[in-house]
Amino acid sequence: MLSVAICGAGGLGTRHAQNFRDIPEAQVTLVYDVVEEAAAALAGKVGARVASRESDLFGDEVDVVVVTTPTPQHAYFTIKAAQAGKHVLCEKPMCRTLEQGEEMLEAVRAAGVTFMVGHVVRWFRQYARARDLIQAGEIGEVGVARTSRINTMPSGRGGWFRDYALSGGVTLDMTIHDFDWLLWTFGPAERVYSVGAQRLMPELDYALTTIRFESGAIAHVEGSWADTGAFRTCFDIAGTGGLLRHDSTRMSTLTLQRRAAEEGRVGVQVPSSPAFRSPYMMEDEHFVQCVLTGEEPAISGDEALDAVELALAAMQSNEAAGEVVELS
Amino acid sequence: MATRLSIMSFAHLHADFYAGAIAALPDVELAGVWDDNPQRGKDAAAKYGTEFFSTPEELFAPENEIQGTIVTSENVKHKRDVLAACEAGVHILCEKPISTNVVDARVMIAEAERAGVQLMIAFPCRYTAAFGQLLRAVRNGELGEIIAIKGTNRGQNPGGWFDDPSLAGGGSVIDHTVHVVDLMRVLLDQEVIKVYAEIDTAFNPALPCDDAGILTMNFEGGCVATLDASWSRPGNYPIWGDVTMELIGTKGNASVDLFVEHVDTWRSGDGSYLWEPYGDDANAALIAEFAECVATGAPVPITGYDGLKAMEVALGAYRAAETSEPNDLPLP
Ligand SMILES: NC(=O)c1ccc[n+]([C@@H]2O[C@H](COP(=O)([O-])OP(=O)(O)OC[C@H]3O[C@@H](n4cnc5c(N)ncnc54)[C@H](O)[C@@H]3O)[C@@H](O)[C@H]2O)c1
Repeated sequence: MLSVAICGAGGLGTRHAQNFRDIPEAQVTLVYDVVEEAAAALAGKVGARVASRESDLFGDEVDVVVVTTPTPQHAYFTIKAAQAGKHVLCEKPMCRTLEQGEEMLEAVRAAGVTFMVGHVVRWFRQYARARDLIQAGEIGEVGVARTSRINTMPSGRGGWFRDYALSGGVTLDMTIHDFDWLLWTFGPAERVYSVGAQRLMPELDYALTTIRFESGAIAHVEGSWADTGAFRTCFDIAGTGGLLRHDSTRMSTLTLQRRAAEEGRVGVQVPSSPAFRSPYMMEDEHFVQCVLTGEEPAISGDEALDAVELALAAMQSNEAAGEVVELS
Repeated sequence: MATRLSIMSFAHLHADFYAGAIAALPDVELAGVWDDNPQRGKDAAAKYGTEFFSTPEELFAPENEIQGTIVTSENVKHKRDVLAACEAGVHILCEKPISTNVVDARVMIAEAERAGVQLMIAFPCRYTAAFGQLLRAVRNGELGEIIAIKGTNRGQNPGGWFDDPSLAGGGSVIDHTVHVVDLMRVLLDQEVIKVYAEIDTAFNPALPCDDAGILTMNFEGGCVATLDASWSRPGNYPIWGDVTMELIGTKGNASVDLFVEHVDTWRSGDGSYLWEPYGDDANAALIAEFAECVATGAPVPITGYDGLKAMEVALGAYRAAETSEPNDLPLP
């Protein structure tokens, strides 16, 4: 039985804690958060103890530390945990700076622990399916791949998502999902050019990024924290032999409507696409399997850092206004 | 008396749309056709019940009383045909792109001015109800300041001379940049000052021209925009392509998808699935406006200068792609 400690009891900490509670080979034993009430509330929900001190995370009874703090703290907790011999599941983006990422990789390698970054889109089946189709040559050589990931401006506890210095804005925090998928699917990027509106944070952030891959493929990546509606994604991937397209707003298998029954209560329509196992659950199950068997996680630390590098390059291009950033 | 229009060349498939639009308009008449491909010209003249002339001079002979002409030849021949119309003192509606280089475009604009004829450029997307409503919303400030626009004008490769750079001046980028850039210029009332692009021959490696292009633009007021000008729709795509824009403003967002209105149509006979469109006929509205300007002398709403500024972005994009560096506009 793996003993799992959750570090950061916010949105993603809650999601992972609930998953690990439900995985037979794992058990959530500790929850840590700088906001003690947050830790207590989550601990209560999943039947764990509240870690009263940070150092509890690295005690003998813990096997796995799940790092779900805001991004700038990922490195600190990952390194500490690895040095204490703990396996680490760290939320994406892996880190806020490349230096942090290098240090994280060094620490987990030196410790020989299992380390994975939560690029959960690899378990979203539409993205996995599209990649499989591309790899099988079903649409020939890809010429132009377009992706969009669109949301309202998130907040996070204390509003940290709205601080560009902390979250990196939409490009590092959210578009990184597409960067990871594109790198996974098309291989290394050669150069990147990006324009956007991060100067308008904290009201909104929006960026349009063009990537040229060494394979020759061109990607156009839209990241939006400027929307007013529900979270949505889409892609449109054109090749010499065909076209792949997916639009999350058109793939709801179930829609529930509520008629405005009482005075002052609005009717709502909630579309959804329920699945027996959520992508987050599949991700966490995979991680548990890797820890138990010693097998390499599907997402290597190097790949996670490559995605950060691409995101930071796009941000650099954007900030410099008109700079084409070459990738090493 | 009906307004007497003519068509110079049926090389561009839009010539058929325009001839159809003229036929449908009550006070406009297709008074003659000239084409440097005589057979094509004769076929068209027969189809639309008008006369074929074997030279522009004969077409514009005084007794024909041609008041305006539509130029739908291959892109590199626009200049030749526009100058012939100027010479004859006939107003012109020229297919986009205005030409394939800045020098030719400037000559065309100057000659029209000298001859006292109007030179209008065919940007029919302006004549859709959706764009009109979007423009009003933007001008009323409903979206606040527009800070970013994501545009697409993707299509199937039209083939024929469109694939021949010596006739078209390029491939998909010169073909598909100008419509959406024109719409963006109108919405923002600003010019593009910088363009970057990734351009390639991606979908049919045997082509002598580009068929994939992603452009990134900076407008003078700070708005940024991208445009997908690729022939990336496969041959069995259910419609020729699209024109879309998503606008991000400080107060709100908007998206337009100008040609999305369709009835899904499956034909079991040939196994096809197609979008049968039912939306606005933008070409008809464009022709009606041109005919109106010819008849009344009102200034055309889309000028040669508009055509030049839109084309410049495509030309700048080619330069940027060659050097992998953003290119400043206007071009020298
Ligand atoms: N994979 C995904 O789909 C996805 C979605 C959202 C967020 N994320 C990532 O997950 C991470 C957490 O995001 P979130 O949405 O849960 O944010 P959140 O603000 O909801 O939660 C962060 C929690 O960390 C706590 N915290 C802050 N500093 C701490 C510290 N030094 N030590 C311990 N706890 C600390 C906060 O009090 C808060 O409870 C981020 O890196 C984010 O990018 C991933």
